[in-house]
Amino acid sequence: MYFLLVYMYIKNHVYMFPDLLGCHGKCRRYLFCCFQDRAGQFFSSGHTNNWAVLVCTSRFWFNYRHVANTLSVYRSVKRLGIPDSHIVLMLADDMACNHRNPKPATVFSHKNMELNVYGDDVEVDYRGYEVTVENFLRILTGRLPPSTPRSKRLLSDDRSNILIYLTGHGGNGFLKFQDSEEISNVELADAFEQMWQKRRYNELLFIIDTCQGASMYERFYSPNLMALASSQVGEDSLSHQPDLAIGVHLMDRYTFYLLEFLEDIHPASKTNMNDLFKVCPKSQCVSTPGHRTDLFLRDPGSVLITDFFGSVRKVELTMETINLTDPIDAESGELQKEMHTYADQLPVSEIIHQKPKQKDWHPPDGFILGLWTLILLVFFQTYGVKHLKHIF
Amino acid sequence: MAAPLTLLLLVAVTVRAALFRSSLSELISERVEVVSPLTAWKRVIEGLALLDLGVSPYSGDVFHETPLTIYLFHFLVDYAEVTFMVSVAGSSVVVTYLILFQFRKQKFALEADRYPLDCLELIRSPKEMYYIPLKVAMFYLLNPFTILSCVAKSTCGLNNAIIALFILSTIKGNVLLSAIFLSLATYQSIYPLTLCAPALLYLMQRQYIPVNFRRASFWWFIVQYAFMYLGSLFVIICLSFFLLGSWDYLPSVYGFILSVPDLTPNIGLFWYFFAEMFEHFRLFFLCVFQINVFFYTIPLSIKLKEHPVFLIFMQLAVISIFKSYPTVGDISLYMAFLPVWSHLHRFLRNIFLVSCVLLACSALFPVLWHLWIYAGSANSNFYYAITLLFNVAQILLVSDYFYAFLRREHHLTYGLYLKRKDGSEATLVLK
Repeated sequence: MYFLLVYMYIKNHVYMFPDLLGCHGKCRRYLFCCFQDRAGQFFSSGHTNNWAVLVCTSRFWFNYRHVANTLSVYRSVKRLGIPDSHIVLMLADDMACNHRNPKPATVFSHKNMELNVYGDDVEVDYRGYEVTVENFLRILTGRLPPSTPRSKRLLSDDRSNILIYLTGHGGNGFLKFQDSEEISNVELADAFEQMWQKRRYNELLFIIDTCQGASMYERFYSPNLMALASSQVGEDSLSHQPDLAIGVHLMDRYTFYLLEFLEDIHPASKTNMNDLFKVCPKSQCVSTPGHRTDLFLRDPGSVLITDFFGSVRKVELTMETINLTDPIDAESGELQKEMHTYADQLPVSEIIHQKPKQKDWHPPDGFILGLWTLILLVFFQTYGVKHLKHIF
Repeated sequence: MAAPLTLLLLVAVTVRAALFRSSLSELISERVEVVSPLTAWKRVIEGLALLDLGVSPYSGDVFHETPLTIYLFHFLVDYAEVTFMVSVAGSSVVVTYLILFQFRKQKFALEADRYPLDCLELIRSPKEMYYIPLKVAMFYLLNPFTILSCVAKSTCGLNNAIIALFILSTIKGNVLLSAIFLSLATYQSIYPLTLCAPALLYLMQRQYIPVNFRRASFWWFIVQYAFMYLGSLFVIICLSFFLLGSWDYLPSVYGFILSVPDLTPNIGLFWYFFAEMFEHFRLFFLCVFQINVFFYTIPLSIKLKEHPVFLIFMQLAVISIFKSYPTVGDISLYMAFLPVWSHLHRFLRNIFLVSCVLLACSALFPVLWHLWIYAGSANSNFYYAITLLFNVAQILLVSDYFYAFLRREHHLTYGLYLKRKDGSEATLVLK
């Protein structure tokens, strides 16, 4: 018997497989003990699915570049295999359909309009005023109201690798959402801790492209977090070149060079995180990008870019038959015939058949008596009988 | 006098009945110029319905009528239209008769020799005065404002009737009835309190008590009148307490009138100002606005102490303009009295302007309301501008009549054609 080890790139069929991979955890362990050395490399990352949460927190036309940043990363992760169902895209403003956009339905990331990152198939999950701190934290922790659709949820599990990308305007310890509220680094760290305790991620890569972005990952304390930021505390992240036809800056420097870097990645690339840390040195970025790996259990050199940015699924074809153990006896479902009765809470029949007697209000008798006595008194006082002839 | 009056009444009743039966009655009863939160018929029905359900009608900010009105309408709610028509007809009849009595009293022949010779043309002759009561009745009955107010079944008609009865009893010299009707009028809305002063002045004049602060008889009369007035007011308030068994009509009626919580637009000045008022200034400006109504009583009564009837007219006008929830029904009351002073027309200076502005504003009210509320192309400033203009025109009218009245008095004392010391013609300037 021989095994055919095949790397299969499942672009759009991921939803068929989760069940398969989940219940074959047992299977995996069988294969592992048989082929430990090759399997070690095979299952080194420990994740089975990839998610991405891409957030642009800025409103208004002059923050075009933040939307372009987010959409560039969106485009990259989609190209590398993460499907829309596993991407939560939050854009606080609509640049493509903005009145001031001279090229409607497009968002460009490079001047001379080389790359339209809006494309034909962008799926924005949270738009406009829905991009709030509360919604962001609810997505991360999973505490959404039951009516929230699946596309707006982060349905990750303990075998998910999540990429979180934030961009916008920030400061030392906070990130501004839509010009009206802020999220602090403490809140973010606590949210990640909640995710860890609820087993909502396997490994998490956090990228932030704002001014003083490194302050946002200072407070992380949960395991398996790796963070990258475009600037240190006290530095501003700067934008790349403006486009004179559109009239605004199109991208931020860090994300621009990140995009350039990601354009060279394809699903089979072996580039690892150490290369990512070298993206946008100070000479190109003006600010100093930072990263944090102390909470990450693996060595960053062994982490592939595609572990976070792509959805590389490892599937193994086997010709060997495996005997599954006997199925557990299904409980003979005896229908418990208990009589369900409703307690009569609204006695409808009584209401229908009995009209309540309409009680009219009447002024009290004392009042009527008193009033008319007074009126008569006054009348006789003024028109006393003996005076009548003088009046008329 | 009776026959033309009856004819006039018939015409007025026909007009109102026709309007009651037409589809315009709902339209009119919702117009904010005609009904206010105090006087709307819808609210009366609401209050009565609440009462039938066993709840106090003053719960919730719906009903702001006095308990005696509840008592009245409890039995007359099915005949509401007739009630209002009767009240309007009644008040017009009352007003007619009071003018008649007033004129009968006017002993102008005795006073003719007091005046300089060239002033005879200023004094009215019986012939011109003969038709004035009829004109007053006509002004009241056929005034479009009164018709609108009656068709809308606004309780303003009742208030007007009580005030008319009060003026009648004052003119006839009946101190007790005057005090009782005044207390009823004050009980309905607080502002007729200011009519105490002209009533006192008139009654004192009638009883030949000189208006002199040092005289004991002056103060004694004031004490008598005040006792009767306050006593009847007290009795009425206690009676209202017994009607419903609770005191919660006091904040609902009087608290509502004085503190103006409801800022529905109307033709008055309060709503816009208080809509944009900051909370910590509200009390101050409330006091300022309310004092404005009561403020003119003392100066006017000092100036017009020999002419209390004109003072009544002026005071009614001031109340109608400056009260917290004015409607066109209040305006029609004092406008009904204008023919009484038709002899002043030669001294009126702004009559053309005032009449044009009043007509234009009355026409513009519904237009700008529609533009503001329904079309959305105007805003409250437009409507408020017309309100302001309307009130300015009314103030101008009233002050014009005041000027004309004073000027006539001046001419009666000093002659019609004034000459300076050196014999050249002089002009009169109002300072």
